[in-house]
Amino acid sequence: MFYEDLNVGDSFPVLKKEPITRVQLVKYAGASGDFNPLHTVEEVGEQAGTGLIAHGMLIMGMVSQGVTTWIPRKNVSKLKVRFQKMTKPGEAIEIVGKVLEKHDDNKIVGEVVALNDKGEVKVAGTFEAKLPSKVEQNLVGNQR
Amino acid sequence: MSNVKELIGLEYEPYSFEIEKGKIKELAAAIGDDNPIYQSKEAAQEAGFDDVPIPLTFLQVVDTWGGYSFDEKMKILKLNPVKILHGEQEYEHLLDIYPGDVLTVNSKVIDVKVKKGASGGMDLIKTENRYKNQRGELAAISRNTTVHRH
Repeated sequence: MFYEDLNVGDSFPVLKKEPITRVQLVKYAGASGDFNPLHTVEEVGEQAGTGLIAHGMLIMGMVSQGVTTWIPRKNVSKLKVRFQKMTKPGEAIEIVGKVLEKHDDNKIVGEVVALNDKGEVKVAGTFEAKLPSKVEQNLVGNQR
Repeated sequence: MSNVKELIGLEYEPYSFEIEKGKIKELAAAIGDDNPIYQSKEAAQEAGFDDVPIPLTFLQVVDTWGGYSFDEKMKILKLNPVKILHGEQEYEHLLDIYPGDVLTVNSKVIDVKVKKGASGGMDLIKTENRYKNQRGELAAISRNTTVHRH
């Protein structure tokens, strides 16, 4: 992918995730080291009045997956999000995004949002990436 | 705590964590991120890396497995754990980080804002973590905003 391939306002293809399962929350707890029982122990969720909720960072991980599906991981330098709404097991998350800004130094800034199938926003943020330019590629080619 | 603003400047004891290939695979699997660069060195090299890279949010693993648990942090900050929400999170990657790299983390509270609201106020506590590799190079920075409801 080249810098010239993207224009401000372009949307990226939607990444549709499978519904979140309780087993996935157990796996995420172990992988991440976040053992807050609100994510894995039913009774604690009930006492808190929320029921079991997914780790916000699991949703951010899906956001990261979306971004690095659109733009190669090697080119992505920054990801910043705000957690807006709790996610429960059974919900299916979709990651959507678009190009917000293009800068002269080949940097692009994109918007990325995680929402459920009802369109409720769970996590919203921005990312930054630096993409190679076709122009530079041609210059290098001509020098050879 | 009486004056939450006093937390500004608080620094945690630094901690270290060695990046492990298995832990990268495990995090990607838990997220359901099937990008082959997190699975195989060959796929990673085809994508321009020297070895398997870390997912953008992997630094959480470094912080929790290498650093402090949530409960330990709450004790250090003197905050009530049941009143806490994760507000914002930011990861800035400056250098590639690979299995075998040892990251040492300096973590510091850089800002505290107190907000008043109709349904009770909240403290917004912003922490910055700086990750240096075994060569002493700054490889990544993260910023976390913790919400403490009153």
